[in-house]
Amino acid sequence: MSDPKIEGLALKPGFKGMAEDTSSDQTMFKGVHWGKAMMWIFLLSDTFIFSCFLISYMKGRGSTPVEWPNPSEVFALDAFGVPVPLLLIAIMTFVLITSSGTMALAVKYGYEKNRKMCGWLVLATAIGGLTFVGMQAFEWSKLIHEGVRPWENPFGAAQFGSFFFMITGFHGTHVSIGVIFLFIYAYKVFAGHYDSGKRGWFTSMKGDYVEIEILGLYWHFVDLVWVFIFAFFYLW
Amino acid sequence: MSEDYNDNKTIQAQSSEAISGGGSVSPDLDYVRPAEIPDQDLYHGHSFLTKWVFCQDAKVIGVQYFLLATFTGIIGLILSWLMRLQLGFPGAAGFMTAEHYYQFVTMHGMIMVVYFLTALFLGGFGNFLIPLMVGARDMVFPYLNMVSFWSFFVAVAVLLASFFVPGGPTGAGWTLYPPQTILEGTPGSGWGILLMCISLILFVAGFTMGGLNYLITVLQARTRGMTLMRMPLTVWGIFTATVLAMLAFPALLVGALMMTLDKVLQTSFFMPTILKAGEVLEYGGGSPILFQHLFWFFGHPEVYIVALPAFGIVSDLISVHARKNIFGYRMMVWAIVGIGALSFFVWAHHMYVSGMNPWFGFFFATTTLIIAVPTAMKVYNWILTLWRGNIRMNVVMLWCLGFIITFVNGGITGIFLGNVSVDVPLSDTYFVIAHFHMVMGIAPLMVIMGAVYHWFPLVSGRFLDEKLGKWHFWLTFLGAYSIYFPMHYLGFIGVPRRYFEMYDSPYMTSAVGMNEFISTAAFIVGAAQFILIYNIIKTLKTGKPAGHNPWKANSLEWLTPKVPPEHGNWGERLPVVHRWPYDFSVPGAKEDFIPQTTPPSEVAHTEAEKT
Amino acid sequence: MHVGIILFLVILGSVLFHIFTPWYWTDIASNWGGMDDTITLTFWVGGGVFVAVCLFMIYCVFKFSYKENRRSEYKPEDKRLEKILTWATTLGVVALLAPGLMIWNQYVNVPKNAREVDVMAWQWGWQYRLPGEDGKLGTTKITNINDENPFGINPEDPFGKDDVMIQSDVLNLENNQPVKILLRSVDVLHNWYVPQFRAKMDAVPGIVTYYWFEPNKAGEYEVLCVEYCGVGHYAMRGTVIVQDNQEYENWLKEQETFSDLIANQENNIEINKKKLAKK
Repeated sequence: MSDPKIEGLALKPGFKGMAEDTSSDQTMFKGVHWGKAMMWIFLLSDTFIFSCFLISYMKGRGSTPVEWPNPSEVFALDAFGVPVPLLLIAIMTFVLITSSGTMALAVKYGYEKNRKMCGWLVLATAIGGLTFVGMQAFEWSKLIHEGVRPWENPFGAAQFGSFFFMITGFHGTHVSIGVIFLFIYAYKVFAGHYDSGKRGWFTSMKGDYVEIEILGLYWHFVDLVWVFIFAFFYLW
Repeated sequence: MSEDYNDNKTIQAQSSEAISGGGSVSPDLDYVRPAEIPDQDLYHGHSFLTKWVFCQDAKVIGVQYFLLATFTGIIGLILSWLMRLQLGFPGAAGFMTAEHYYQFVTMHGMIMVVYFLTALFLGGFGNFLIPLMVGARDMVFPYLNMVSFWSFFVAVAVLLASFFVPGGPTGAGWTLYPPQTILEGTPGSGWGILLMCISLILFVAGFTMGGLNYLITVLQARTRGMTLMRMPLTVWGIFTATVLAMLAFPALLVGALMMTLDKVLQTSFFMPTILKAGEVLEYGGGSPILFQHLFWFFGHPEVYIVALPAFGIVSDLISVHARKNIFGYRMMVWAIVGIGALSFFVWAHHMYVSGMNPWFGFFFATTTLIIAVPTAMKVYNWILTLWRGNIRMNVVMLWCLGFIITFVNGGITGIFLGNVSVDVPLSDTYFVIAHFHMVMGIAPLMVIMGAVYHWFPLVSGRFLDEKLGKWHFWLTFLGAYSIYFPMHYLGFIGVPRRYFEMYDSPYMTSAVGMNEFISTAAFIVGAAQFILIYNIIKTLKTGKPAGHNPWKANSLEWLTPKVPPEHGNWGERLPVVHRWPYDFSVPGAKEDFIPQTTPPSEVAHTEAEKT
Repeated sequence: MHVGIILFLVILGSVLFHIFTPWYWTDIASNWGGMDDTITLTFWVGGGVFVAVCLFMIYCVFKFSYKENRRSEYKPEDKRLEKILTWATTLGVVALLAPGLMIWNQYVNVPKNAREVDVMAWQWGWQYRLPGEDGKLGTTKITNINDENPFGINPEDPFGKDDVMIQSDVLNLENNQPVKILLRSVDVLHNWYVPQFRAKMDAVPGIVTYYWFEPNKAGEYEVLCVEYCGVGHYAMRGTVIVQDNQEYENWLKEQETFSDLIANQENNIEINKKKLAKK
């Protein structure tokens, strides 16, 4: 089912409208697809997970007796023999944010039932995500090569490596899952499942372009989380 | 494959169809807004595997949750027997070493709180009742719901597997406080704790899938006319508890994950520099108290994840069987929501003597005692519902009365423990054990039992045996009360919890007799639970048939066209709701109940409130 | 009928049990009588509410049992009553909270004249360290701990030299002299608790926690570990002896200080060297 259209229902803006929807029967979020509402609530829960990680990180960083490594040195990358701080991270962030842009466009073309454009843009997003994961793998291997381990590192407090690998790993897992789904969805778009309403293989739900938007929500969230990780790990 | 699905029915009839010729009554009275959502597309299983095992029907999933949670609960019960055997009659069980004792304590606690109570209330009752009570055909994502149960199944399997790994299950106490949890000197600090963490992570993942279902079903899939303020309190309780779970379990997940890394990869999230057996371990710089914060940020809402569904369910049971509307429905709803919100600001009252900054004590004592106010309001409203009611003294009502007594008792002792300086002498003693067993062990259990007797006719179409039920109730209630009421006084003496044996201290020897008494009572109470199992097995085939709406209740789950309800619940047409579920004994009405689907024009001359 | 009677007996039994119980507090031996008083107050208020609520419920059970031809009252809410109950409860809660917070304020503010005691915990035992004549404890570090330096005192710290070291689980305290217990642990969580003193706090590895009390009754008391710390938890006991001033001073004089320990060890080394030389 796509977003249900409700005949004769005019949404009222502001707090008053919200109160009215809340006290009405049937649905609280008028005309919002179940899957979309679910994704929002899942993301809220996921926000708590990442908040717990980042708060633990702040607490851990604040209370370790050994000095914290200097991020702009640790994360520097040699470009033509000159160490440029945060070079790789800047590129990674740029790629990920660009992929959010392509995702947003894919949603737009999806609702316009423009199968080709939508499919290519989902594919582009997937490739962007894959690039991000690839660069992260490169960064991990660089750090591991330099002797950073979850339990120790040559630059200072051992917790640096622990938190870095754990949190970027957890985020990377999110991106990877997103990439897998993006590829699947790209296939489904090209195969026309969302035009014909073909039932999914697992959940046996009817295909609809709204699924692209739901995946988009997830993808933007993963992006947003990255911005926080970026700020807390690389800029602090 | 297409015959497996309902065809998408057209959006239901545009306005209320049940307009009776009420003479002067205006037809507008019965107007209900047209449907906003198309009818749900359901997958009907057609083989044994898809009908009963990997089933997508929320009712079957609810029963599956119920059975599996009960199974783990019985294991928890047996563990408690073994513990009480050691405490009441030390040395009576020859194999019982301190290691075993601590493993049993830990597994008993974790099983009962997470795998029994949480799974039973949210997975069991939630799945069965939410779609029926809000008038939906099923949960909104049946497939996800099925995966949720099977994740829970795997989580339980992993948990129980830890009994068979080298070193046995973890014996770190259910709070799993590091550093001891993963150091030698604690039983099961190798495989045991690892499996525990994995099992918890699986449980959280599985629960999240179920929780999303419960929330969206309540928010987005109610039937026509069903406003939030017309939902039975059961749904409110389960809904709010699910919100808490969705926001609290992340902290547990993160804590368990970091603990796993500390164990497996030697990271030092929770591990400071440690000297053990004369050697400095390779840990350093971590904070043990961080884990406690994460754990209790989950742990305290967890208490309400168990309590709120119990609050909701007991409200409905009392109302139905006292033939009276629940007193102060709106107050009850806001109390549930308020308690839920406040429960995120009280977690550190478990940590008054943990060594955290003592100034936190002021804040958390205040928030904790504030939470006592809405909780007290709920208690007042329950007893005021009984006031001038017409109380059926059946087994269901007995469990409700038992709940009120045990809950008030446990709630009052909570005020002792929440009040920071009173907590100082009492924390980590048997007073705490008595308190939390009374308030979140026995009290919710009373509700579960009441709910089983109440809804069994709906699930199976037959009544449970009343006489056996009364034996079951009195043995359980009197037994459990005589376990936990005197236990508070052990705490006053100063007997610490988690002591394998303690009879050489002068002031503890005085407690030997009491411990023997408590243990004996515990054996009886545990054994009494098998009466229920016998009762269920017996009445499943031969019990008195219940028929439609045997309790004369108002809420939707009793108004299905078939009893027990089929997949899809409602047959051809979804019900339309016109009132709240508590219109009992309305002056002017012929019967002493008006079901939620009864349109106003049919009961035009009554004084039912407009809800 | 019988339901109400049994429930009434349960409530009556609870009250009688409380009045006649032989199991109750150990006699208090510290300044924290305020905690006991707050408990007593909470008992009166809470117990009163418990009995009142249950008796009301039992009355309803008697009075409003099911009768075929009777109807319940229809009264969805009573705003006035609800308001009264809310405010009464709030008042009761404030009355209990206020003394609780006041005592907590005393608990976290240690008096200036309190004598410090370093309580060091490990799996599974205790040992104690008292400041020497300078009245200050030397700083410590877990990694310094070895056979020659059982408390891990920083050898460079001048305050540590005269620290009195008690390598046993028996601690003597002076009567009517406030003590500040400084807790540290070398491995896992522990908690140093004497029921007669009422006060307790966890020992957390990596940080130093504290609490204080003033013993006011001479005698011998048992120390319990009350934070679960592994299989030996239940056996982790110690002893506190509260003595009057003179006895305490005599005891204190007999104890070894850190510099004594170092000197003894050096002596031993000298003796050993001489022995070797002779051979």
